[in-house]
Amino acid sequence: MNPQTIKKLRRFREIKRGYYSFLFLVGLILISAIGELLVNNRALMVSYEGSWYFPTYSDFHPGSDFGLGYGYETDYRELQKVFKAAGTGDFVIMPLVPFDALENNSSTGIYKPEAPSAEREHYLGTDTTSRDILARLFYGTRIALLFSIAFMVWVYAIGITIGCAMGYFGGVFDLIFQRLIEIWSNIPFLYTVIIVFSVIPATFANSTRIAILLTVMVLFSWTGMTYYMRTETYKEKSRDYIAAARIIGASHSRIIFKHVLPNVMSTLVTFMPFTIVSAISAITALDFLGFGLPVPTPSLGELLKQGTANLRTAPWIVTSAFLTLVVLLTVVTFIGEAVRESFDPKKFTVYK
Amino acid sequence: MYINFRHLFFSLISASILSACGGPDTAEIEAPAIDNEQEVQDYYAANPDFFSFKNISDLPTDLVWENGMHLNELGSEQATKGGTEYYQIQDFPRTLRRVGPDSNGSFRPWINDYTSLGLAHRHPDKFEFFPALAESWALDPENKTVYVKLNPDARWSDGVPVTTDDMFFMFFFYQSDYIVAPWYKNWYSSQYTNITRYDDLTFSITTPQFKPNGGSNVIGLGPVPRHFYRELGDDYVDRYQWRFQPTTGPYIVRKKDIVKGSSIVLTRLDDWWAKDNKFFKNRYNVDRIQLNVIRDTAKAFEAFKKGDIDQARLNLAEFWYDKLPNSDSDVQNGYIHKSLFYNQRPRPTYGLWMNTSKALLDNLDVRIGIQHATNWQLVIAKYFRGDYSRMQTSSDGYGEFSHPTLKAREFDIDKALEHFAKAGFIERDANGVLINADGQKLAFTLSTGYTNMQDILTILKEEALKAGLEFRVEVLDGTAGWKKVQEKQHDIHFAALNVGLEMAPRFWETYHSDNAYDDAFLEDGSVNPDRKLKMQTNNLEAMTHFEMDGLIERYRASSDKEEMKALAYKMTEIHHDYASFVPGFYQAFFRIGHWRWLRYPEFFNHKHASMARQYHVHWLDLEMREETLAAQKAGKTFAPVIRTYDQFR
Repeated sequence: MNPQTIKKLRRFREIKRGYYSFLFLVGLILISAIGELLVNNRALMVSYEGSWYFPTYSDFHPGSDFGLGYGYETDYRELQKVFKAAGTGDFVIMPLVPFDALENNSSTGIYKPEAPSAEREHYLGTDTTSRDILARLFYGTRIALLFSIAFMVWVYAIGITIGCAMGYFGGVFDLIFQRLIEIWSNIPFLYTVIIVFSVIPATFANSTRIAILLTVMVLFSWTGMTYYMRTETYKEKSRDYIAAARIIGASHSRIIFKHVLPNVMSTLVTFMPFTIVSAISAITALDFLGFGLPVPTPSLGELLKQGTANLRTAPWIVTSAFLTLVVLLTVVTFIGEAVRESFDPKKFTVYK
Repeated sequence: MYINFRHLFFSLISASILSACGGPDTAEIEAPAIDNEQEVQDYYAANPDFFSFKNISDLPTDLVWENGMHLNELGSEQATKGGTEYYQIQDFPRTLRRVGPDSNGSFRPWINDYTSLGLAHRHPDKFEFFPALAESWALDPENKTVYVKLNPDARWSDGVPVTTDDMFFMFFFYQSDYIVAPWYKNWYSSQYTNITRYDDLTFSITTPQFKPNGGSNVIGLGPVPRHFYRELGDDYVDRYQWRFQPTTGPYIVRKKDIVKGSSIVLTRLDDWWAKDNKFFKNRYNVDRIQLNVIRDTAKAFEAFKKGDIDQARLNLAEFWYDKLPNSDSDVQNGYIHKSLFYNQRPRPTYGLWMNTSKALLDNLDVRIGIQHATNWQLVIAKYFRGDYSRMQTSSDGYGEFSHPTLKAREFDIDKALEHFAKAGFIERDANGVLINADGQKLAFTLSTGYTNMQDILTILKEEALKAGLEFRVEVLDGTAGWKKVQEKQHDIHFAALNVGLEMAPRFWETYHSDNAYDDAFLEDGSVNPDRKLKMQTNNLEAMTHFEMDGLIERYRASSDKEEMKALAYKMTEIHHDYASFVPGFYQAFFRIGHWRWLRYPEFFNHKHASMARQYHVHWLDLEMREETLAAQKAGKTFAPVIRTYDQFR
C-alpha cells in the first residue's frame, strides 16, 4: 500500500472518536447481515422426533411438519410452548428477539401500543398495531443502511465518471454538461420522488419498488458530486505527470481512472460519510411523509410518524426511533469528521 | 340538508382530501356583466313539455295535501342561542360554489347538506317528511306527479322571497353545461319529466317512475336562487368561485370571514325566516361557527384537549380508549364529557371490492376463497376492539329492505384452501404463497385511498398468507385511490361508498352490467366477446350477471313495496353468490368528546343522525363556559359525565 495512505489510515486510527464510531458501524452492519439469526419469528433450531430443522434461511415449514394441524407457516413461539408442555424431549431454540417486523403480536387481545417489557420479550414495546418495535427498528435500520450505501455507490459512480470527464475533456463538452446539470439540478427533488413513486404500480414486488425509489433518488443526487470532481480534475490535468502519461500514449480512460482518480481520492473519501447521512435523512423524511418505502416495510420514518401521532399515549415509539436515528447519524458524522481530518494534507501547516 | 343526490349516494367517503388553497378571485372584479334572463326564458319556451305554465284554477281539486306537522319537534327546548363555536376542518375549501369542479369536497355539509333547506326533509326519528320550504305537498301516484305549495314566508338570506321561479330555474341551472357537473345534468334531465307553474308559490313536478317512497325524489329537491345566478354563463366556475350563494338556511358566510388557507366562519342570521318554525326553532343555536384548518388529526385532537376546539369526534378506538380514556383528568374532573350514541341508518359499504375483469378474479372459486381468507373478525376484534360490527351484505341498514338472514362468509382457512384448490392452486412456494401448475402465484394488489386505515390492510395481509393468499398493499392518497377504481385499474380495493338516508338500497349503480361494460351481453344473454370495460362508473366489481340486470330493471320500475323487497332480497343473494365484494365492517354508533359547555339534548341526538352535528341540535352554554374556565383555574371539579345513549341500539 502507498505509504501516504498508510499514514492517513494510521492518523484515522489515532482519532479515537471517529475510529470507534467506525468499528461500531462496521459491527452494526455485520450484525444486521446475520439479522435473521437475532431478530426473527422463525426458530434457530427445532428438534422434532429426532430430526433437526434450521428454518431461519430455509423454505417455510408448514405447521404440519411439526405435528401442528395447519398448512401455513409454523408459529414457532407456540411450538416452543407445545413442546415444553409435551415434555417429549423435542425443543425449539428461538432467536434473542422472537418477533418478525411484520407480525402483529398483542398480549391483550387488541392492537395498540404496549410499553416495553422484558417479560413479553418486547424490549422496546410495540407499535400501534402491536408489532415489535425492536424488530421494526432493526430491519428498518438495516434497510436504511443498505439503501444509503447503495445510494452512495451509485451517486459516486455516476458523479465521478461525469465530473472527471468534464474536467478532463473541458471545452464544449464541459460547457454543455454544466448547463445540463444546472437545468437538471433545478428540478425539485422531493416532488419528483413523490410523483414518480405514486405512479409505480403495486404489482411490482417490494424489492423492485425500493430499487425504483433508489434509482430516482440517485438520478437527482449525482449532480453535486460532479462539481468537485470537475475542479479537482482540472487541477490535476495541468500537472506534469498527466502530460507525461499522455506523451507515453496512455488512453483517456487510463489517465482518468489510473492517474487522476487516485489523486483526487481524498476529496472523495471525505464526502462519503456525509452522503450516507443525507441518504438516511432523505429516506427517513420520505417515509415520514408517507412517500418512501412501500407499506408495510419497516422503516425509521414510519416509526417516527407513528410516534409523533401518539406522543402522549405511547412515548416509547418516538423515543426509540428518534434515538436510533440520532445515534446512527452521529456515528456516521463522527466517522466523516475523522476521515476528513486524517486525509487533510495540511495537518502540520501553520497559517501566518 | 336538502338532498344532493350526487354527494349522498355516489361519492366515495373521503378519508383524506388533498389540501388546496383558494385561487385568485380576480374574475369577480373583471368579469363583464351578463344578464341571462332572455336565455332562461328562451330555454323554458324551447322545452314546452318540460316547463309548463298554468293558472291556479287548473290545480286539481281532489288532491290530498300533507304537511308533516304532526311529527315531533327536533332538538331540545332547553337550547339557548348564542356564542361562537370552534371546530376543526382538515382542508380549506377549494371553492364556495355548490356545484361544479372541486365543490364535492368535505366542506359541502357546512354550506349545503346540513345547513340548507329543501322543500321537505326526512324526519330523523320517524323517517316521514317534515316541511321546510314547502308548506304542504300532495302526491298523485297515478300521474307520477307531486304538487307543492311553498311557504309564503320562505326567504333567501338576502331577503328575496323563494318562489316557483327558483324551482324552474333549478332545472335550468342543473341541466346547463355552464356548471360543469355532468352528474347533475344527467340526473335532472333523466329523473324528471315536467315542472308546472300554477302561481308564484304553487307548482308540480313529474317523474318517469313513481317510487313508493313518499315522493322523495321531488320533495327532497331544493331551489336555486334565480336572482343570484343572473350572471350564469361560460365563466361560471371562475365567476362564482368565491361567491357565497344566498341560502334558505340559517348560516351565511361573510366575505370578511374567509381567511384563505386558515379559517372560515359561518354566521347565523338573526332574522332567519324559519327561526320560529316547529322543526327548526331548537336547532342551529350557535351564533358563529369558526372552522379552523388543522391538517393533522393528532394535532387537532391536542387543540381539542387544550380547549381551542369545542368538540371532537372520537370514533376511532385509539382516541376513545387511549388518547381520551375515561381516566383522563379532564374527563374525571368533568370538564370534558364523553358521549356514545347508537344510530340507525344505511351503512357505508366498507369492504373489499374485487375487480372481476382481472385475470384470476374472474374465477368464482378464487373469489370465494378470498372471502374466506379475509379475516375481518380479527380486524374488528383487535383493531376496532370489538366496537364495530361485521357487515353482512352490501346493503345493510335499510331496515326491512336489508336481507334478514344472509351472512357474510367467515374467515376459514380450510374453506379458503378448498376453493383455491378448485381453482388450481394447490402447491405452496417457499414463502407459503399458493401457486398453480403454471407457476402463477396467488397474489393480488390490495389498494386503498384511506391512508389512515392502512393498518387494517397490513393485518389482512398477514392473515391471508395463512391461507396461501398474498396481498400486496398499496396505499394511495384519497384522490389517486378513487381515480384508480374509477378507471377500473384495481385488483382488489378497500373503500366504502357513502349512502344517503333512503328507504331502499340502490343496485343499478353498482351491479348493473351497463356500468361494467359497453354491451356486456348479446341478445340471448350470452357474454359478448367484444365487450369493453366501462370507466368512471360505480360498478367497481365490474359485475355482470344477466339475471341481475333484469331484476334491477324490474326493481327500478317497480312501485310496489312488497315486490321491491322481494327483488332486493333476491339481488342481494345473487350478489352474495357472485362473491365479488367482501363485506367489511360498520359502525353502529358515533361518539364524541365535548367540553362541558357545549351541550346536547337529553336524548343526545335523533335516530337516523349520521354524525353528532348533522342536525345542529347542540348549543353553547356561555355561563357554563365561564364557570368551567374559572373552575379549571381554581382547581374545582365537577362530576364526570360519560354517557351511552343506546335507545336506538
